[in-house]
Amino acid sequence: MPEQLPFTALLNRLFGSLANSFLDVLHFKHNPLAPIGNQVAMQILVVAFLIVVFALVRARLSLDNPGGLQHVFEGIHGFVTGQSEEIIGHHSEGFTPFLVALGVFILTCNLLGVIPGFESPTAVPSVPLGCAIVAFCYYHLQGIKRQGALKYAKHFLGPMPALAILMVPIELISHTARMLSLTIRLFANMFAGDMVTLVFFSLVPVGVPIIFLGLHIGVSFLQAYIFVLLTTVYLSGAVAEEH
Amino acid sequence: MRKSLSYVFLVLAMLCFAAPLFAQGGPAASSGVNWVAITSGFAMTIASAVCGLGQAKATSAAVESLARNPAARPGIQLSLILGLALIESLALYTLVIIFAKVK
Repeated sequence: MPEQLPFTALLNRLFGSLANSFLDVLHFKHNPLAPIGNQVAMQILVVAFLIVVFALVRARLSLDNPGGLQHVFEGIHGFVTGQSEEIIGHHSEGFTPFLVALGVFILTCNLLGVIPGFESPTAVPSVPLGCAIVAFCYYHLQGIKRQGALKYAKHFLGPMPALAILMVPIELISHTARMLSLTIRLFANMFAGDMVTLVFFSLVPVGVPIIFLGLHIGVSFLQAYIFVLLTTVYLSGAVAEEH
Repeated sequence: MRKSLSYVFLVLAMLCFAAPLFAQGGPAASSGVNWVAITSGFAMTIASAVCGLGQAKATSAAVESLARNPAARPGIQLSLILGLALIESLALYTLVIIFAKVK
């Protein structure tokens, strides 16, 4: 029986046979005793929690008497909209829902690891990779939607047609390296935070690990913000129009 | 000229202390020293040190330009945070390789 968190054990008990048959159909390699892994269970928890929070905000939206939750989300919305306006320019309000969802998801995933009995889904490499692939597909799709497929592909060719043969491999590699760097940045920060807290816990069990947990919380906020900021910068590169 | 030459000879003489190194055999490190772990320590040190220098340069430029022109704070703050995160990620690539390769 592989080592599982309490929430994962609960999910496996309830949905184990369903998950097993689903994974067998897709021929995924999995452990039949625990088909739902720790990070999948934690992500399910994060999504369920966020749906409840957003539903609460929506239900309690009010012009005359905004509660604390509405202030928080107005703040987040204003911050992301202001930042994308500054980086992308005009017509950037359409990107705010995706950026807020991405940012809030990554932030909640990062902070979940601080609570004992839960672990950060972003501390395994596959979850940040998923977020990076989603961001990558999103900004390319937005670029194609905004400028048309042919014009968007033409901007990979560089400033002059003579340089095209040099620019295309460089642009392709740099775009895939963006995905790699987004993934590794988020994963390594979360993983290193866990490792450092563990190391100091093994040295001095009382008091000192709290400092590193505090550092980990700060890094969680910063890394979620950096992910959203970099996605905004890539979006601005994709939808920018030459004047 | 003579002083630097004597320093060169001093360094070469000290390298003779490394003679036992030739006694080591081929690539098998089954019972010997775990060179991968030692090298990874040095690699992480170099990566962190150079990353620290780069971030120091970025921060000092940002603080200086903020002192010159406090009205440009949003733009400077944005560029600073973006630059620091990109430099930080270079040191993190080394950490990831270490965790992938060191047993």
